[in-house]
Amino acid sequence: MAHSSEVPDPLDPAEAARLLADLVDVLLPGADGWPSGSAVGVQGALATRIILHRGEAGLDALLKAILSAGGPFSGHDEAGCIAIVEALERNEPERFGWARDAAFIAYYESPFVAAAIEARGHAYDLRPHMTGYPMPRFDLARDTPKHGRGHYVPTDAVRAIDISGLNLSSDSTLPWGLKR
Amino acid sequence: MKSNETCDVLIIGAGATGSLAALVLARAGLDVVCLEQGAWVEAGDHPHYSTDWLWQQRTNWNADVNQRHHPDDYPVKSDSSQVLMWNGVGGSTNVYGAIWPRYRPSDFLKGNEHGLQPNWPIAYEDLAPFYEAADRLIGVSGLAGDPAMPPREACPTGPLPFSRTAGKLASTFDRLGWHWWPAEAGVISEDYDGRPACNGCGICNGCPRGSMSKYSLSIWPKALAAGVRLRTHARVLQIETAIDGRATGALYRDRNSGIDEFQPASIVIVAANGVGTPRLLLASGNLANQSDQVGRNLLHHTLVSAELWVDEPVEGHTGYVASLISREFAETDIGRGFVNGFNFNCLTSPAGAGDNAAGWITNNKAPWGRDHHRWFERHFGHTIGIHVIGDDLPNPDNRVSLDPDRRDADGIPVAKLHYRPGENDRRMMNFMLDRLVDVAGAADAFEYKLQDYRDKDGIYRTPAWHMIGTCRMGDNPETSVVNGWGRSWDVPNLFIVDGSVLPTGGVVNPTPTISALALRTAGYIRDHFRELTGRTRLADA
Repeated sequence: MAHSSEVPDPLDPAEAARLLADLVDVLLPGADGWPSGSAVGVQGALATRIILHRGEAGLDALLKAILSAGGPFSGHDEAGCIAIVEALERNEPERFGWARDAAFIAYYESPFVAAAIEARGHAYDLRPHMTGYPMPRFDLARDTPKHGRGHYVPTDAVRAIDISGLNLSSDSTLPWGLKR
Repeated sequence: MKSNETCDVLIIGAGATGSLAALVLARAGLDVVCLEQGAWVEAGDHPHYSTDWLWQQRTNWNADVNQRHHPDDYPVKSDSSQVLMWNGVGGSTNVYGAIWPRYRPSDFLKGNEHGLQPNWPIAYEDLAPFYEAADRLIGVSGLAGDPAMPPREACPTGPLPFSRTAGKLASTFDRLGWHWWPAEAGVISEDYDGRPACNGCGICNGCPRGSMSKYSLSIWPKALAAGVRLRTHARVLQIETAIDGRATGALYRDRNSGIDEFQPASIVIVAANGVGTPRLLLASGNLANQSDQVGRNLLHHTLVSAELWVDEPVEGHTGYVASLISREFAETDIGRGFVNGFNFNCLTSPAGAGDNAAGWITNNKAPWGRDHHRWFERHFGHTIGIHVIGDDLPNPDNRVSLDPDRRDADGIPVAKLHYRPGENDRRMMNFMLDRLVDVAGAADAFEYKLQDYRDKDGIYRTPAWHMIGTCRMGDNPETSVVNGWGRSWDVPNLFIVDGSVLPTGGVVNPTPTISALALRTAGYIRDHFRELTGRTRLADA
């Protein structure tokens, strides 16, 4: 497959499918009982969801962005493949981020991945609403708070407070939030 | 245009409050018609039965009206908040989480307390019986006896299971010496009223089982049995009035036939939520707006959030989504540098592993590549989410208005929404974020992340489930839209029952209070129907 300066249009379908499968395997490699992304078909879900939400052009744009980032992956070792995805992430952060999130979500929809989660000791159901998870009932003797903390101001006890020292109309708390 | 027979009461909107009002009035023998622009949401329509339910929740079932593409919706142009709602029978209860705390007495008296908010025209004690009545209809679960709240009746169903997350947070708050209490929920912990108990699935964005009170399953069957005539796909274009200033009914479009119809009524109730109601009034010739308060004073609550990751396996993807509530900071203490208070709404974890990896309330994501699985194994089952919800101050410039240039497919002006937190709100959110750091420390979290809901340009884009205050009730016709019974000051046979009438937001999710108010207002209309339909002017407040 050609590189960025000579990207064929349209891409060869088989090579395009391989490109997406290789991408999801870099994102989600198989290891230690975890199947790889392509082994559970993430690339198929990713392609259809891109088309559904971003149109056919969205899929085409992602494939071309991979090529522009140094793809295809074939012929590269693991470090080379990672470098391609790092370049994709750097060059097209929004497009990459959307695809990464969609790939992650598709991956965890797989029954084989759910089985891998369960194998690590978690109760995990792909459709938990069907049967739910067993939970112990609230035990009044054990679970009722005993701390005795907490108060409220009853209606007839609400009193005026002096807020003149707050300077709410003259001061401005900027910056605020996480960037302080 | 087709004209229908006059009904006693016309209700616009079949969400939580519309359904409750319809139930009360139809049971009293009144002829009630309810117009709903959306459809029924059948149990099988929900994504919960599919393996791709998480993807659906992020796309076509996204609670943000601007993130999904649904024919039942109307456009809302926001320069700030994420606008979360559902248009259909049951309204936003099709997608909500049903955390069920009440306002506290001081929430009704902020005018007396500091004067930066109005007093309500009613007191906590006026509403308390209706809280109990709503809880019985819903089948609320919880534990009475919280010393941080006025006494209440026993909840109709007992507390939901005390999850491992709840246990971890309880010990955390104990270390801090802060209040905590098991969360009350609009979720039944045992079979109730023909609905099955919560099965702990964890997908608490609507509940097609009806264990979480989805009003189309808990209230509407009763209302229909009482004789309410509910018309779906009926989009109201405007409320019409006569020369005497009384509402005569509503013009609506049957979205299936495309035919415009007029529904005459003796009394009109608007129940279209904090965005839809002001939009409709403004689009109906600036109706009920001599005060110029329609659409103003939009409240969302101050909201910041955190995710903690702890060593203990809390398995928070199982069980109801809320674990504890802490009311430690619910009352004003100006030593903090601001008025009003806030609560910790403590959650569990996302129900789906995909949410853990792709980002939940803080958008913290797993890495891609070789480290992905190691990260997932360390974090999955160890996540705790916390929302901190505070009482924001009203600002008349925070508002719902009409776009002068854009109309929807039915010719109604598009709703515009603007919201900016004020000085007191910003101070409060800084304090809240600092307290979340305290919680993370006391929990010995190995990692935590905070969320202030500000985008890269600093715009506060809160996920606004709570859209209230835009047609607030009050004692003064110059500063409020409706009186203490939800009755318009200007249009004597027009009532509003949705969250737009709340003058203050309190420090809690508003659906319990909105539901109680709807029952109270409907009871007033029922008990005064003859007077209300015979007079042309308000005789009292």
